[in-house]
Amino acid sequence: MILKHGWKALGAAILIYTFVAGLLIPLKTGVQSIIPQSIQSGRNVSFRVQGYNTQYLAGAPEMRAWLKMDDDHVLAAFQILVQNDRELKVGFQIPFFLPTDKKVQDFTLIIDNPVDGAHILPSAVFVTQDSINMALAKMYWPPEKIEGLHEKAGISFPFRNILAETIRNTYYHVPLWFAMILLFLGAVFYSGRHLFRLSYRNKITTGEDRMTLDDDRMSLSLIRTGVLFGILGLLTGMVWAKNTWGAYWSGDIKQNMTAICLLIYMAYFVLRQAYEDPEQRARIASVYALFAFAAMIPLLFVIPRLTDSLHPGNGGNPAMGGEDLDNTMRMVFYPAIIGWTLLGLWMSQISFRIERLKERWLESGG
Amino acid sequence: MIFCTLKNLDELKNRATFGRQPKLMSKRFFLLAFFTTATFFRGMAQASQGDDFMRSMGKMYVVVAAIAIVFVGIVAFLIYLDRKLTKLENQTKHND
Amino acid sequence: MQLIREIGFLFQKELTLEMRQKYALGGILLYVLSTVYVVYISFVRVEPDHWNTLYWIIILFASVNAVARSFLQEHSGRQLYYYTLANPLAVLLAKILYNFLLLLFLSLLTLGAYSVVAGYPIQQPGPFLWALVLGSLGFSIALTFVSAIASRATNTSTLMAILSLPLLIPILATLIRLAKASFIPKAGMEVPIKSDLYILAGIDLLLLGAAMMLFSFLWRD
Repeated sequence: MILKHGWKALGAAILIYTFVAGLLIPLKTGVQSIIPQSIQSGRNVSFRVQGYNTQYLAGAPEMRAWLKMDDDHVLAAFQILVQNDRELKVGFQIPFFLPTDKKVQDFTLIIDNPVDGAHILPSAVFVTQDSINMALAKMYWPPEKIEGLHEKAGISFPFRNILAETIRNTYYHVPLWFAMILLFLGAVFYSGRHLFRLSYRNKITTGEDRMTLDDDRMSLSLIRTGVLFGILGLLTGMVWAKNTWGAYWSGDIKQNMTAICLLIYMAYFVLRQAYEDPEQRARIASVYALFAFAAMIPLLFVIPRLTDSLHPGNGGNPAMGGEDLDNTMRMVFYPAIIGWTLLGLWMSQISFRIERLKERWLESGG
Repeated sequence: MIFCTLKNLDELKNRATFGRQPKLMSKRFFLLAFFTTATFFRGMAQASQGDDFMRSMGKMYVVVAAIAIVFVGIVAFLIYLDRKLTKLENQTKHND
Repeated sequence: MQLIREIGFLFQKELTLEMRQKYALGGILLYVLSTVYVVYISFVRVEPDHWNTLYWIIILFASVNAVARSFLQEHSGRQLYYYTLANPLAVLLAKILYNFLLLLFLSLLTLGAYSVVAGYPIQQPGPFLWALVLGSLGFSIALTFVSAIASRATNTSTLMAILSLPLLIPILATLIRLAKASFIPKAGMEVPIKSDLYILAGIDLLLLGAAMMLFSFLWRD
């Protein structure tokens, strides 16, 4: 009993954990915006900085801020005014000459206090200088180091400026793809087993009673659930993309490839409709399922990695590398994959049992 | 917007009582699915105008929308299985 | 050795059949030429990007039409007769080989006719030719196999299109990228072209392997 149904309970429990942990764990503090974003060199500029999840009033006494070009060239703020918990006025005295041979240089904003910990905004400010003078710039930029940065206490997910809270979609969008691929792999296994048994039976015995079509039915059910997960992944991805990349469909290689992949598997359903005889249908559908998966391998695993993409893990980068997924996220993300896969298997199993019931009823002479 | 959907649902119910052929049933299902998604996207389109609802609160509503989509998808799958089972039950009843 | 001889005989058979029914090949050729002509009268000047897209669309549909016949034109009784005479693998390989040469011929012909009316933007003919060869091979394998899958069904030609188009898109995507790269004059652009050619060859091998493994389940009925 526990073995037979326990995995379903396990899947449900893991998913509940994913929802609870994935939605309740707060984000780290971050810098949401800075105004102005581009300035001229050689001026006193007062920036309005908006924090995310911050408690600036509590951290006010030890508030510090820097503009950083690289490790050796850092500019400390000369004045920081805390407006409220989420807003700062930070004043910087930008020298005339920048220690760079470029006309326009981007600076990273770093804010630190004991309560919120350090938080940064990469490429926050673009400074334009009229003329380049490296020798004078060296005088204006004394070597200064950033030391004694604080860490915010407690568990939290990383803050990324464009993503903000949508980083949680990592648990409700990405695992759907993993589950889809695993379900399709399961379909490959069952299709293969169907064909293997078919050839085995043909070699050993002839004239036996009709062979069971259970493997084919399971393969059908797995593909059904896989396609459902694929469609859901596409839709959730589209909503996510609209609010981060700016469009529902940006022609990203992964979007296109998965759309094609879904087309391939939808053709599978059409193929099944085209054959009347159950045994012939099972055999040909199994052959197509295997062939389609073989055709899909370059689609999913090879071509996306060689092409530039908005998705992380493309254009030669390792997928889900350290930058995109920290240890706290891993604690939720990996269980989420298992949970969604188990749910998919559960759904496929129910679909499979209905298919089997249908066949039994037909065989009993309906 | 909600009224519009309800009206359509009524229409669908009327149609369903007239004919019980499986083809019409699937048509009804697709119409329902279509209107649900249409309402959803219209709602989102309205939300994205004006105050930019989706991007408020650190874009939290994007996560909410994603979870809602997954939920709707799984419920749609449940409805699909339910209909299959109902058909099967009707057939077996007929057989007895 | 036996297999190669069988493939040779079956290949000859395909050729003889084609020669006997010239209208089928003629239809495909007419399709290619008339599409090229339509492109010619609807575009005054064809940009390289449009050239690329239109060329591959013409090739795609011509290929589907050309290969769709390979298992459909012979009724199942005659096919069963072949299978008792020869190794089924030889039947498949002969058809793939025949379709490969047919598609290669078709794409070269289209290239010729197309270049006359729409211009010739290719700067690196070598990689483009390799792309044509590998692409034709991939198309031939996938389409021949799908034609075998679809041949037993009731509504064959629709099924053929539905099954084959999504399967061909990965090959097509690589081909379009390769063609685009071959429009750029040779200047340090060799590396991406090479890796794309390897991908194409990999896809071909993968499809060939899958087709050879699975074909034995298709022919018996």
